[in-house]
Amino acid sequence: MSEKIVSELQARPVLEPRIGSGCWSVDLAKGEAITLERDAHADMVLTGAGHEGGALCLTLEPYSRLNIVELVDQEGATTDLRISLLEGAECSVTQVVTASSNLRVEASLDGRFARFELGGAFILSANERGTVQVDVRHNVADCSSRTTFKGVASQSAVGKFSGLVYVAPDAQRTDSEQLSRNITLGEARIETLPQLEIYADDVKCSHGATVGQMNDEAVLYMRQRGLSLATAKRLQIEGFVSDVVLRSSTELCREAFIEALESKLEKL
Amino acid sequence: MLKVENLCASVGDKQILKGINLEVKAGEVHAIMGPNGSGKSTLASVLAGNEKFTVTDGKVEYEGENLLELNVEERSRKGLFLGFQYPVEIPGVTMANFMKIAVNEQRKAQGLEPLTAAEYLKLMREKSAIVELDPKLTSRAVNEGFSGGEKKKNEIFQMAMLNPKLAILDETDSGLDIDALRIVATGVTRLKREDNATVVITHYQRLLDYIVPDYVHVLYKGRIIYTGDKSLALKLEKEGYDWLINDYKEE
Repeated sequence: MSEKIVSELQARPVLEPRIGSGCWSVDLAKGEAITLERDAHADMVLTGAGHEGGALCLTLEPYSRLNIVELVDQEGATTDLRISLLEGAECSVTQVVTASSNLRVEASLDGRFARFELGGAFILSANERGTVQVDVRHNVADCSSRTTFKGVASQSAVGKFSGLVYVAPDAQRTDSEQLSRNITLGEARIETLPQLEIYADDVKCSHGATVGQMNDEAVLYMRQRGLSLATAKRLQIEGFVSDVVLRSSTELCREAFIEALESKLEKL
Repeated sequence: MLKVENLCASVGDKQILKGINLEVKAGEVHAIMGPNGSGKSTLASVLAGNEKFTVTDGKVEYEGENLLELNVEERSRKGLFLGFQYPVEIPGVTMANFMKIAVNEQRKAQGLEPLTAAEYLKLMREKSAIVELDPKLTSRAVNEGFSGGEKKKNEIFQMAMLNPKLAILDETDSGLDIDALRIVATGVTRLKREDNATVVITHYQRLLDYIVPDYVHVLYKGRIIYTGDKSLALKLEKEGYDWLINDYKEE
């Protein structure tokens, strides 16, 4: 994490259980319950992914908007995020993982017209282990959710993504999309388990999962333009995760993301 | 510049090139024509160093060096450019970023300092004008969502950026409408100098209206069976390959 950003954020630690608009830094290790006030627009940077593993429970009051960014670069980190979205609330989460870790995100869409969006990427090397579990629960009608998680594993790393989209019996007109896209290099393995559990009948739910290798033709193409094999591979992986890492909601952490990504790519 | 002697290459068990002889000198333009499946693209790939193909016999000398000992990127950095028949899409990697790395890799190989941001932007602007490439495309991912014409223009743009000594263009004209063909061909012609050479692989004579070749070679079943001047292309356009192929007995 870029020191500048961290120090700036730590200057205003979150202590109150209720927060309004602003930019907040939250230490996950503490395991807190925080409510974002009605109509507030806030940004939140998660730090210190907890070794203790306490869950951070967030409640988004009606029509509030929360943008969460998190860089997980500490070996053995655990993140447990539980988000409840009330009517018309919007939450966007971006997680970039570059170390062995265990991530869990549970988003409950508890009020109509709530929107949840998650973009994530894990990049693992050596013998790192990473698991990501995402549960999106459409408990009421008229909500939408988008989940895209990208995985890259090299050497003897193992990555695992499980994603569940649950649609309750009355959650009509749910609009949900879940995508898990992965690249493995060498002996690495990635498992992906996308699941849909739908009890309503008027819904639009799509999901997709792929695990593939590097595109050799693209590597050849780049080498023909003078890039070394290593650079070509690195560039391809960078391109693969860039839409997650560079999306507009990551403004706050972009520098830190890019820095972490670049140093990680060196190790693949 | 390039001297190919008895080049033989295979993919898997299949022998595709069966003894190619070809000499290209600085300042020359060579056209390679021939029916489908005769080995034209394989020749281009083998010269570029694609490891999918195995060279089973023969020699290739490029600028006094044994080309076959160099890998793909070394050949590129020494000024060999291959314009791909099917340019590859690279999601998430912008053209501008990709070319910046490519240009600087080449400069590094030549012992030059990397370009500054301003120099690079200037170069990009200058070169994209040669092929009338929409400057906006350089901020998009490499070839992603480009039309067929844009992809081919983009190949020539990259050629202009890298300023190769030897450019091999593999069916750069295929899939182009008349305007795009003119733009691409004019671009190639504008990049022609006394000290560089171009090998164009094509099916159609019309490209050669713009890029006037010094030699036209006909490749058939892995060998160059006939070499002529630019009038050969016209004759082939009218009469097809049959008259040549009938003359040619496979050994």
